[in-house]
Amino acid sequence: MKSEVKISENTLQMTRMFDAPRDQVFAAWKESEKLETWWGCSQTRKVESKMDFQEGGEFCHTMTIEGAGVMPYAGKFEEIIEPEKIVYKASFGPLDATITVEFIEVAPGKTKLVLTQVGFPDPTLREIVSGGFDAAFEKLEKLLLQTA
Amino acid sequence: MVNNSRRLSSIFSALADPTRRKILERLSKLGQCRVTLLAQPFRMTLPAISRHLKVLEEARLIRREKDGREHLISANPEGLKHAGEWITHYVTYWEGRFDAMDEILKLQSPQRKKSS
Repeated sequence: MKSEVKISENTLQMTRMFDAPRDQVFAAWKESEKLETWWGCSQTRKVESKMDFQEGGEFCHTMTIEGAGVMPYAGKFEEIIEPEKIVYKASFGPLDATITVEFIEVAPGKTKLVLTQVGFPDPTLREIVSGGFDAAFEKLEKLLLQTA
Repeated sequence: MVNNSRRLSSIFSALADPTRRKILERLSKLGQCRVTLLAQPFRMTLPAISRHLKVLEEARLIRREKDGREHLISANPEGLKHAGEWITHYVTYWEGRFDAMDEILKLQSPQRKKSS
């Protein structure tokens, strides 16, 4: 684990250092063709990213995942401060989350990335526990394939 | 972290089976009950039900108490509700993405001095 991890009730914060200039780290999130090279889990065979990179703009990263087929990760950019910050809302299966990515230049060629994810699928878990299993389950299984 | 990931995968493999999901569903309605009562609607032998219960127990999705020769089973909602499991899931996910980003960024600046 190279990242520093902070966890609270429904928030996950991960901090990671990159040996690269801030503009480059930011570009990895801004430009579709760059994002396609690193997005998606190990079972992801192909990522096709479409982004309207501006506040209010929408994005969709379509992943071809082995064993699960084609799955979209879609959302909307809420805030963009180039090259410092990206805030977006995204849904994937039963999950709705707000994700904030901050890019901090700690030294020339060294960038600290802070990712904060708020929102976890507690209602889905409750749904499973109290019945209404199957629909939620299909979603969870798909989700698992994505993140395994 | 590894233990948490393992825990999470044990939860999900336990829940991947429709019979085990029905067992949990039935437990959530019945509350604590005896294995024989729990097994009633299932067209299965008791040993087959017991195997399913064992998987659920290992995933900490159910609890078992012994009352003489009878085993009392109840659902353990904490096993599912714990948001930490999901967070762990995401920690693993993002860590993997950051590793991939790291690789890509290194390829982009091959002239950069190696960090110590």
